[in-house]
Amino acid sequence: MKAKSLNLLSGQSVIWFLAVLGLVLIVYRFVMGLGAVTNLSDGYPWGIWIGLDILAGIALAAGGFVMAGTVYLLGGQRFHVMARTAVLTAFLGYLLFIFGLIVDLGRPWNIWKPVFNWQHESPMFEVSWCVMLYTFVLFLEMLPSVFERYRLEKLHSLWRMMVPWLIVFILGLFTLAMTHSPQWALAMVAVLLVWEGLIRLRIMPRHAEVSILLIAAGVILSTLHQSSLGSLFLIVPHKLHALWHTPILPLLFFFSAVMVAPAMVIFESLVTERTLGYKAHLDLLHAAARVMPYLLGVYLFLKLADLVGRGAVPHALALTPQAVSWWMEMGIGAVIPLVLFMTPELIRNRAGLFGTSVLVIAGVVWNRLNVAVVGVIVRPWETYYPYWAEVFITVGIISVGLLAFRWAMRNLPIHVEGESPHPA
Amino acid sequence: MKALLIDVTRCVGCRGCQVACKEWNELPAEKTRFFASPKGYQNPRDLSSKTWRVVTYNEAQTNGRFEWVFGHLQCFHCIEPSCATACPVSALQKTKEGPVVYDPDRCLGCRYCQLACPFLVPRFEWDKAIPKITKCTMCADRVAAGEEPACAKVCPTDAIVFGEREDLIAEAENRIHRNPRGYVHHIYGKDEVGGTCVLHLSNVPFEVLGYRTDLPKISLREYTKTAMQVVPHVKIGLAVALGAVSWVIQRRIRNGRDEKNGSSSGGES
Repeated sequence: MKAKSLNLLSGQSVIWFLAVLGLVLIVYRFVMGLGAVTNLSDGYPWGIWIGLDILAGIALAAGGFVMAGTVYLLGGQRFHVMARTAVLTAFLGYLLFIFGLIVDLGRPWNIWKPVFNWQHESPMFEVSWCVMLYTFVLFLEMLPSVFERYRLEKLHSLWRMMVPWLIVFILGLFTLAMTHSPQWALAMVAVLLVWEGLIRLRIMPRHAEVSILLIAAGVILSTLHQSSLGSLFLIVPHKLHALWHTPILPLLFFFSAVMVAPAMVIFESLVTERTLGYKAHLDLLHAAARVMPYLLGVYLFLKLADLVGRGAVPHALALTPQAVSWWMEMGIGAVIPLVLFMTPELIRNRAGLFGTSVLVIAGVVWNRLNVAVVGVIVRPWETYYPYWAEVFITVGIISVGLLAFRWAMRNLPIHVEGESPHPA
Repeated sequence: MKALLIDVTRCVGCRGCQVACKEWNELPAEKTRFFASPKGYQNPRDLSSKTWRVVTYNEAQTNGRFEWVFGHLQCFHCIEPSCATACPVSALQKTKEGPVVYDPDRCLGCRYCQLACPFLVPRFEWDKAIPKITKCTMCADRVAAGEEPACAKVCPTDAIVFGEREDLIAEAENRIHRNPRGYVHHIYGKDEVGGTCVLHLSNVPFEVLGYRTDLPKISLREYTKTAMQVVPHVKIGLAVALGAVSWVIQRRIRNGRDEKNGSSSGGES
C-alpha cells in the first residue's frame, strides 16, 4: 500500500516536471521563433504538433460527442454514468488542442480572425469555426457540474433558459458563414426552432438535466470537425501518398473518430480506476466492447474498398516506408484488435480489454501521423523528424492536460458515485 | 490578366533577375553553401523567405551535347491558386490584375498555404518571433503603378517578358511554331493546375529542369470543392436525422416500458 502511494507520488512529480519543462520550451519558442524548437521546414510545414496534438488529439476527444449522443439522443441511458467523464475529457482535450494550436500557429494573435474574415472555400475555415463553436458547446455542457458543485441555482436556471437560443444562434451563424446564403441559414434556424418547439410541446423527447438541442449541436459540430480535418488533405493530391489520399478522407476521419470513442472510454475508465480509485462500470465497458467488432469491421471494409476502388493496391505491396507504415497502421490498429475484440475470453478480463483498446487508440493515432507526416512526400532531399524540443512541448501539453483532468475529477461532480447504472 | 513568359532557351543564367528581385523587395542576403552536384553552380539551392526567385542550373543533353539549361523558381500566380483556397482568412488572394498577394494582418501562420501549394512556393520566416509567409508578388506594387515586375525589367535577353496572359500564350505558340525543333511543344503553366500566370517555354523536357509534370490540369480547388459544398447539407440533414431517430427511439423505449408495466401508468416522460 505504502509502496503504491509512493509510486504514484513519484509518477506525479514526473508529470509536473514534464509540464513545467514543456512550458519553459514554449516560452523559448515565442522568443526565438518556430525554427528554434522544431525541425519544421518549408517542405514540411506541418509536423508532429499537427499530427499528434491536433489530428490525433481531436480524434481521441470524440468520446465526448459519441457518448453524449448515445445517452441523450440514441436511448443509451445506461451509459449515463460515463457521459460526464467523456464530456470532461473532450472539453479538456479541446482546450489543450487550442493551447497546442497557439504554440503551433506562427501568428496566434490573429487566431480570432476567421470570425470576421469568411472564406468558406477553405477547409481550414471550417475547422476553425468547428473548434470555436464545439469548444463553446462543450463549455456549456460542462457548466451544470460547476453549478452543482457550487450550488449556483440561479445561474443554472439562467443556463436552462438561454442554451437553446444560443444553439440556434451559433448554428445559424455558422451555416451563414459556410454558405454566404441567408436561405441556408434560415433553413438551419427553422429546423432547430421546430425541434425546440416540439420538445417544449413534449412531442419530441426531453431531458430534465440537459438541453437536447445542445447535445445535438455537439454531435453536428463534431461530425463536421472530425471530417473537415480529413478535408484539409484533399487539396494535396500531389503530396499525400496514394495510400491515404482519397476523396473519402473526410468520411474515414469521421468514422475512425467514432470508432475510437468506445475504446477511449474503456481506456479512460480503466486508467482512472487504477490511478484515482474510481470504480469502473465493467458491465458498461463490456457493452461498449461488444460494439467494437462492428465499428472495426466497417472501418476495415471502407479502407480496403477505397483502396481497391482507386486502384491503389499496388502502393500497399511496394516496399516503401509508406507501405510499411500503412501495414503497421492497419495491422495494429484494425486487424489485430478486430480479432481480439471477437475473442470473448480476452475481453472479459480487465487486462485484455485494456490492451485491445490501447491497440485501437494507437491505430488511430498512427493513422493521423501517417496522413500528416509519413505520407507527405515533397522532394527527395527534404525530410522531417521531430526535434527533441518539439517532442517535449507535446509531452508538456499532454502533462498539463493530465493534471487538469485529475483536478477536475477530484473537485467537480463528474463521476457519479453510487448511482445505479440502470435508473428505473 | 497580367502574366510573365519565361523562355529558358533565351536565358543565359546571369541571375540579374534574382538580384533585381532582392533589390526591389528589399530582401537580405543569405548565407549559402555549395551543395552536391549536378547543380553545383546554382546559388542558393532553393527559394526561402529571403529569396523569392531562383535561377536553377541544370546540365542537360540537347542535340547530342551537354549544355546548361536554366530553370526559374518563383510563384506561378495560379489562376485559381490553391494557397488562396486553403487560406482560412483570405490573407492570400488572387487579384484581378494577376498577382497573388499576401496580407500579413490577417494571417494566422497556420502554414496550410505551404502544404497546399503544388510548387512549394510560400516560404515561412522560421527564424522570427513575428513571422510572415513570404513569396514573389509579381511586384504587385510595380504592376499597380503600370510598371513591369523587376525581374522582367532587368532581363538582358528578354528571357522574361511581361504582358497580358492571352498575348503571351499567343506569343509562346508563335515561337514554338516558328522554331518547332528548338522547343518542347508544351507551354508549362498554360493548363497546369487550371492555368498559371507564369508561363514557361523550354528546349528540354520540363522534368529535366525539376518542374513537376504530373500535376492535374484542373485547379486543386476542385479536390476540396465537393467536401465543402456538402457541409450545409450535412448540417441540416444531421439535425433532422438526429431529431427523427431520437423521437423513434424514445417512443420505442416508452412503449416497451408501458408493456412491462402492463400499460398501467402510460404517459410519464
